[in-house]
Amino acid sequence: MKKNKFNHQLSIIMASLLLSGLSVQVQAQDTIKLGMTTALTGPFNEFGEGNRRGVVLAIEMFNKNGGVNGKKVELAEALDDQLVPDRAVQNMRRILDNKDIVAIIAPAGSGPSLATMDMLEADGRPVCNPLAQSPQVTLKNGEGKPPRANIISMAITNKSEATAMGQALGAKYKNVGILHESTAYGVTGSEMTKAAMLAKNPGVKVEVESYNQRSQDMASQVARMQRAGVEAVLVIGLGADFAVIRKNMSRLNVKADLYGSTGAVTPPYIEGAGNLALGTRTMSPTAFGLRPLKPAAQTFVDQYRAAHGTDRWYGPDEANPQLTLGTIVAQAYDCTRILLESMKAAGSTQPAAVIAAMNKLTDFKGVTNDSISFTPDNHDAFSAKDLSLFEMSKGKDGKLFLLPVKE
Amino acid sequence: MDFFVSLVIAGACVGSVYALVAVGLNMTFWTTKTLNFGQGAVMMLSAMSTALLVQYGLSDVVSIVFGLLLVALTGVLVERIAIRPALKTAGSMGWVIATLGFGIVIQGVTARYFGSQAVAFPEVLFQVQDVVTIWGQSISLQYLAVLCISLVLIIVLECLTRFTVLGTAIQACAQDMELAVVQGLPVNLIISGSFVLSSLLAGVAGILVAQISGTVDPAFGFELVMFGFVAAVLGGMGNSGGALLGGIILGITSKLVGGYISTAAEHGIAFGLLILMLAIRPQGFFGRAEVNKA
Amino acid sequence: MNTLREKLTTLLTNKYLQIFFLLTLLVGAGYMKAGTLQILSFALISILFTQSIYILTGMTGQISLGHAAFFGVGAYGTAILSKTLGLSLLFSIPIAGIAASLVAFILSYPAGRVKEVYLAMMTLGFGQIFLEVARELTALTGGVMGLSGVPSAGLGTLIVLGMKLSTVDYFQFLLLITACSVIFVRNFSQSRLGRSLFLVHYSELAAGSVGIVRRQTKQLAYALSGLFAGFAGAFYAHLVGYLGPDSFTISRSIEVLVIAIVGGLWSIGGQILSAIFFTFLPEQLQVFTQYQFIAYGLILTFTLILFRRGIGGLLFSASRFIRTSIRKVSDKNKISSDFLSIKANHTNILVKDITMKFGGLVAVNHVSLDIPARQITALVGPNGSGKSTLVNVIAGVFPPTAGRVLLNDSDVTSRSDAQMAKLGVIRTFQDPRLVPHFTVRENILLGAHAQMSYSWLEAGLGLPRAYKQELLALEQCDSIIELLDIAEVADQPVESLPYGYRRMTELGRALMARPRVILLDEPAAGLSDLEMQSLGVILKKLKSLGITILLIEHHMDFLADLVDEVVVLDSGSIIFRGTMLAMREDAAVIEAYLGTEGVEHA
Repeated sequence: MKKNKFNHQLSIIMASLLLSGLSVQVQAQDTIKLGMTTALTGPFNEFGEGNRRGVVLAIEMFNKNGGVNGKKVELAEALDDQLVPDRAVQNMRRILDNKDIVAIIAPAGSGPSLATMDMLEADGRPVCNPLAQSPQVTLKNGEGKPPRANIISMAITNKSEATAMGQALGAKYKNVGILHESTAYGVTGSEMTKAAMLAKNPGVKVEVESYNQRSQDMASQVARMQRAGVEAVLVIGLGADFAVIRKNMSRLNVKADLYGSTGAVTPPYIEGAGNLALGTRTMSPTAFGLRPLKPAAQTFVDQYRAAHGTDRWYGPDEANPQLTLGTIVAQAYDCTRILLESMKAAGSTQPAAVIAAMNKLTDFKGVTNDSISFTPDNHDAFSAKDLSLFEMSKGKDGKLFLLPVKE
Repeated sequence: MDFFVSLVIAGACVGSVYALVAVGLNMTFWTTKTLNFGQGAVMMLSAMSTALLVQYGLSDVVSIVFGLLLVALTGVLVERIAIRPALKTAGSMGWVIATLGFGIVIQGVTARYFGSQAVAFPEVLFQVQDVVTIWGQSISLQYLAVLCISLVLIIVLECLTRFTVLGTAIQACAQDMELAVVQGLPVNLIISGSFVLSSLLAGVAGILVAQISGTVDPAFGFELVMFGFVAAVLGGMGNSGGALLGGIILGITSKLVGGYISTAAEHGIAFGLLILMLAIRPQGFFGRAEVNKA
Repeated sequence: MNTLREKLTTLLTNKYLQIFFLLTLLVGAGYMKAGTLQILSFALISILFTQSIYILTGMTGQISLGHAAFFGVGAYGTAILSKTLGLSLLFSIPIAGIAASLVAFILSYPAGRVKEVYLAMMTLGFGQIFLEVARELTALTGGVMGLSGVPSAGLGTLIVLGMKLSTVDYFQFLLLITACSVIFVRNFSQSRLGRSLFLVHYSELAAGSVGIVRRQTKQLAYALSGLFAGFAGAFYAHLVGYLGPDSFTISRSIEVLVIAIVGGLWSIGGQILSAIFFTFLPEQLQVFTQYQFIAYGLILTFTLILFRRGIGGLLFSASRFIRTSIRKVSDKNKISSDFLSIKANHTNILVKDITMKFGGLVAVNHVSLDIPARQITALVGPNGSGKSTLVNVIAGVFPPTAGRVLLNDSDVTSRSDAQMAKLGVIRTFQDPRLVPHFTVRENILLGAHAQMSYSWLEAGLGLPRAYKQELLALEQCDSIIELLDIAEVADQPVESLPYGYRRMTELGRALMARPRVILLDEPAAGLSDLEMQSLGVILKKLKSLGITILLIEHHMDFLADLVDEVVVLDSGSIIFRGTMLAMREDAAVIEAYLGTEGVEHA
């Protein structure tokens, strides 16, 4: 109680000092300010930190080429919420309180994104969602209804991934098992994939099971799949758990074809499952699998390698950057580019103008999607046609990486 | 039939690990009537250090030995830092919270300096695909190996307790600590010893579980301790045979529930059993009801 | 150091200062940034939640590692009722709070039967079960997708009675509610029920001995704790507007435990500061997020050992459990201790053929005994002869294996210890079982628990009936303190006092329970000669007031001119009954107990 009063007085004093003393700062404060809160540390930081790097790279590129509307760009607030929804809410409130921030990058996960979407929409400033796959991020009222006015998304939504995967599975198999984690990501992905499969092939049998993240043993779930006689298994979850499942399948001698969602076929999966990961298939952005890469993608890849080398996001192979470099880092990179380009096109940072410019975006050359267009009715960069099937293969040096499937 | 057998074997295997954890918890319960709430972090420590050392190039055996030594040291530390002072000053709640905190510190430090991501655990016990066919049923060698190792360890421990001097000393402390002191037993050493043993058991359990799941991360082990505790309560706190049976029953029951009813319930069934047992028969299947003269 | 604490405490508990501070916050709310308002609102909710731990863990000593479950019941409860069913907040919030209280009440049935580590595990498991249920019942709770669109001030959707509440309005409302709840809890802690929670914590037997029904007391503690946790959760739901199961994991349970421990388990003020501190810390110190886990772990490991009393102990004087306003009045009124004779009623106890077996051990073997009214009877015998067991049976601590106990001709064999206490059979213990950090006065006042009847609601609200009963009890308490001649230490915590005073305190507590029969277990043990003399005088006075007395003792000299009759037990059977003089000559007694070596000092 006493501390509050003290804090309050302290902030008044500091504020007055700032205002009165430092007029030089007034000019330097005239930059384009972006804000984000995400998992910079903690168990999900590969997503959050990856996003942040993408944002920073994009800002650097713009600043090198003269900034936006004559001003430099800066990432004014990069807050850490470890993907804990409460923290994300508090951080976002702090960001929104800062009236100098003109655009916001959403957190790297469905949980905190959903928790903050309502307040972001109420605020009105332009927001780009780099990674969270829940379709509710843009489509508050469901499909077919207009998306949130100020929110665009670069993420591969559950919907697009599920449609692509569902169509591929439905076309090829008659009996499929879906094993999903008990989170928003897992549940929506599972429902939508099943729906897409049934739409493609009404006679397909689908067995659905769920698991909690970080369970040690998935024997029950895998045994049930085996009992149902599935020909293929799709896992929707994260890499480490996928490795456990793969091993369970091996121990129980399950001979089904294995598919994983984009969140599952990641380095932890490869490390955990080792050679067992060979043959696993996943849906991934077609553009990032092309060799040679298109110009925008190549620029990005070179820029990242120059800044960070072949690190855990890039992967060990210089010529073949990991797909997660695209789906995690590049999507945030593209988010930032789109926001800044829209500001350029609008010639201002006023929310209404920027949003109008975003709605007119056509054939934007993104890294993971080389033709992005938005309209007032569509704020999602990805749709099912931008994804294609990749398979885990072994390279000459024995390392595993994803190659497009040639069918 | 296959389905049922697969579940039972998987259940027996994980259950034997729960039993191992339970026996470890019993060790410290005998000597101090306490247990290490941070035991999960101990399990994580052995598995994590083994995994990391193998990654850095050391051999499997050396890494495991090092991992076990590390947790043995942790056992001594937790008794010194969290248990002994808490028993002296803070009464019944103190050590529960202190050991919980200790585990959280270990987890936090590991996460801070080694990252929160899962680390792959090397294949030390056979390969994942190795199966053996018994009566037409193919059974994973890894499951069998884990089951056997746990059983052997528990039996060895039971022999230790009954037939060696150290074991008798531990039993003496369990029955009447003051008398043991008066008789000249090096009680402090015995208590430390029980914590070391307990941590070693947890360390082995951690490595076994990590082998099955394939990865370790800093949050590993927390749930296992809960299941180990449920196993200990089911069998009767302080009873080794009970712990073994309790663990296996728990493992098989959860897998069967998961297989036949719903995988979501698999998790909750352990706690349901715990609450039920504590409410109806707190001394477990094999414990004896305590009678207090008051 | 102490005077600094006292000054700080007086300053912060000054009513005018508190009102002024509240008004400043209320008015200032209109000028704060949205971010500050939000974080202050979070802090208020945290305070409310921490109070639930104060009640259950601080007062009653029950450890809970699953409190997030009650928080969650309150949150989901109001969210479902207001969003899905469209119920007005005026109903959804109270219903949600009561629902959480009900869940806690139900949990108290299995939980009240276990202690310590078992309780910790059980509450842990319960918290996990709640999480699973929240995740699975998608139709109700939104499952893992969560529940969005909960009416919330921040989103402008909070409408009560047709008026839209802004974040400022919500904060002001929360502030008032929190202030009221703090006052309520403080009043409760200074009431007979609040004090009884502490006694149940420290000695269940002692609680029973003054008529406190343990099971009911624990149920009350759980229910109240659940109520506060549920309300905190409900307000949380309407603050954030979106609920996901991730907000109700064990991290939240651990966090609130950390806050309570750091604040000081017995200090409301300390916990308030702690709650505010921990709400602001991650906000101000971004780097804290990384070390948060380690910090919490270190706090949990060391605080209870090194800083048992937490911030509260450091900054404030020890909390007291009698309302100062009532003290001020009672200190002026003096009444005599003759009120003790009112209920005395010439009561005798008949013990008929009691046998008590513990497994194979026969502690009491077919003992029949007559404890006549208005007499002092002594029960002596070697250690292990069954004296304490017999007293336990008479007092109702456990029922005998065989035989009956009659109180003025009515059969009371199967009554529990609390029931016996209410009938006026009060006992003391071989070693005094008191609440260590309570003062002498507060401990003695515990005895009056069953003599007062006001409820927890009357206590919390400070209603006149509660006030009157407390005042009377305090006056009686003062007179007993006079009688026992311990006035000079009456306001000191008993843990700091020498043994003799603690004995007296326990005797005082027994007297406050308005005994008809008083059973004293070795009251003279550990007393100095002087103290023994005073005790003898007091016992004689009690006899003159009409109270029947049974003494277990070893001090022959002490008993010499005090008792009317003596009963000698050996190995569970009576071997002599008669006067002190005759006992000294009896061969069997000498053989079994008194001994023959050395010269008899008459």
